[in-house]
Amino acid sequence: MTTTDIPAPAARKPAATTAPKRRPKRESQGPAWVFLSPWVLGAIVLTLLPMAVSLYLSFTDYDLFNPPRWVGLRNYVQMFTEDPRYWRSVMTTLTYVVIAVPLQLALALAVALALKSMKRGKGFYRSAFYAPSLLGASMSIALVWRAVFNDGGTVDNLLGTGGWVNKPGWALLAVALLTVWQFGAPMVIFLAGLQQIPGELYEAAAVDGAGKWRQFVSVTVPMLSPVLFFNLVLQTIQAFQVFTPAFAIGAGKGGPADSTLVYTLYLYDRGFVASHMGYASAMAWVLLIVIGAVTAVLFRTSRSWVFYASEGDR
Amino acid sequence: MPGHRTKGFCASAAALVLCTMLAGCGGSGESVGGGKVVLRYTWWGNPDRAERTEQAVALFEKQHPNIQVQTSFSAYEAYKQKLATQAAGGDAPDVMQLDYRQIDQYASGGVLLDLDKEKAVLRTGEIDAGLLATGRLDDTQYAIPQGRGTETVAYDVKAWKASGVPLPGRSWTWSEWADAMRALAEKTGKPGATDPGQSEDCFEVWLRGQGKSLYTKDGGLGFTADDLTRWWTFTDRLRREGAVSPAEQTTQLDGSVENTPLGRGEATADSNWDAPASGFLALIPSGVALPPMPSGEDGTPGQYFKPSMFLGVGAGTGHPKEAAQLVDFLINDAQAAKILGATRGIPVNESIRERTESQLKDFDKTIADYQASLEGSLKAPPQAPPSGDNALQATFQRDYDQVSYERMSPREAAENYVTEAKAELRS
Repeated sequence: MTTTDIPAPAARKPAATTAPKRRPKRESQGPAWVFLSPWVLGAIVLTLLPMAVSLYLSFTDYDLFNPPRWVGLRNYVQMFTEDPRYWRSVMTTLTYVVIAVPLQLALALAVALALKSMKRGKGFYRSAFYAPSLLGASMSIALVWRAVFNDGGTVDNLLGTGGWVNKPGWALLAVALLTVWQFGAPMVIFLAGLQQIPGELYEAAAVDGAGKWRQFVSVTVPMLSPVLFFNLVLQTIQAFQVFTPAFAIGAGKGGPADSTLVYTLYLYDRGFVASHMGYASAMAWVLLIVIGAVTAVLFRTSRSWVFYASEGDR
Repeated sequence: MPGHRTKGFCASAAALVLCTMLAGCGGSGESVGGGKVVLRYTWWGNPDRAERTEQAVALFEKQHPNIQVQTSFSAYEAYKQKLATQAAGGDAPDVMQLDYRQIDQYASGGVLLDLDKEKAVLRTGEIDAGLLATGRLDDTQYAIPQGRGTETVAYDVKAWKASGVPLPGRSWTWSEWADAMRALAEKTGKPGATDPGQSEDCFEVWLRGQGKSLYTKDGGLGFTADDLTRWWTFTDRLRREGAVSPAEQTTQLDGSVENTPLGRGEATADSNWDAPASGFLALIPSGVALPPMPSGEDGTPGQYFKPSMFLGVGAGTGHPKEAAQLVDFLINDAQAAKILGATRGIPVNESIRERTESQLKDFDKTIADYQASLEGSLKAPPQAPPSGDNALQATFQRDYDQVSYERMSPREAAENYVTEAKAELRS
């Protein structure tokens, strides 16, 4: 999941299309379309069509079994004005995002810095730290996590916590820790970013008498800010959509006492447990819009703190 | 460049063919293994039930060499959600186990096949008419009851005896039950039973013990926020006293016996349906006994004989006849009955019940004896719960979580529940 979301660099335009003013002999586009068809069909059938249907359903009352009934904006009105659990799920999600994202990024950056200056065994540690990101999204790891933090589990035995997943005040932290633990993807990106920073900058800084901390603040952070921004946006978007860990740790119900009832889990609950698919669809569209808005805000603030090296040339 | 083009087209054509083939592979998968009919049969339950079901299915396949049965099972909560998703996607299994609470929604939603159409292979003549009618909706037989069940207070015999607290007799009231739980907690140092506050089923028993019901005849709510407040105040006090399980344990319930406090060795007793209680044997080898559920203070019984579960056939099945044959086999075949025992409740086929009751062994016999002891003393079952109840069961548990974690008072939670229930039942 993590890696596939990274947008591929824009493909370099083929030389042929940039130069000629008139097309050479019309080449048939047939083969291209034939080769593309599985993906075009896939995009239409598996993405666009379901989205359109979901938008339609969000204005209906649909119990999965009987035909949808048009109710206009009722789902949206109910969501915002009559459903305390909706707001609880919103608050839970925001709390989760605020805990998980900074912790995860801080850990990823710290490990990336440690790995960068490492002389030997870099490959091993890089893989070792990356592994949880590959495994972590799976249900099985989430279940292991539940067992570890359960009453009588490993953490309980070591720290005498009495099991976090069964305490409403702590369960969400257990969910967040599972995400934080999967810091591999942002770490690898940080590492790549760190290696891009020219060594001369550090040498120059050292000559000017900057210590390690000063170098970090004045060289590393600004030079790394585009990468930091990239990771921040990606992880925030992902955090808003957290589902698997909350599902497993909250025993599928967002428990205990709704403390891990994140947005997507409540959406699932409305759709598949309570059979209110229309309401769930409406929730999905609100989530889409909110994520879009949050991303837009992040981009806006980025102007004041993200520094691109190429800006200096302008 | 004609040559080039031809090559391109060849390649793309090949790719297209490949795609079609791949797509074809993902298709219905009906005639795998040399023209055999493949049926999907899903159910919920525990490993004990799984083992016996597999044996029965193997026998069915032997008798019907042209049919192959793919089975799958999970715990109740997970099963409910998976089945709802499958049914909504038009991918309901050919044969599915259903709960009383699902009949209304599934039948009215067009998920279930009208079984009268398969009368030729599916015999219902030997099922008690009243029991059979619980699977009917608008005069159509959508599902066949598979067994008869009732609730019980399963307890660990050895642990209870060791505590020195007098063993439960053949009847008790809720206050006698509560006293016993307090005494157990005091002697054993751990809660007497699972906190019944989270269970809509237990609440129903308590409610019926006072002559009330969960739902009215027309599918409305049969009780008030006051009733629910009293119930939750009662259970909440027991929880605070340590007589029933703490919130941390109660919240782990998922319908499987393994995750009950009794199954985990954290309590002495548990309120459960009699058939799944067989799962406790694997966890408590020293033995489990089944006294009845507590009654109202004036002795009015709250529990009732309920069709423990049903078998239905998917309306979209490609093989209605074969699916009906499987249902018939599971319900009416003497050998199948012998293998299945009472794992889904006491058999509904009258002649099989008479024949097998004496042959039942071990825990199956315990269940049969338990049901026999209640025969004639219980009140008639309520009609099948309305569609919304399916979701309300989860709501009930969740709202009680708020009470047991002390985030809401019983009154606040009860009012929450009643508001949500009314909205759910209206839609």
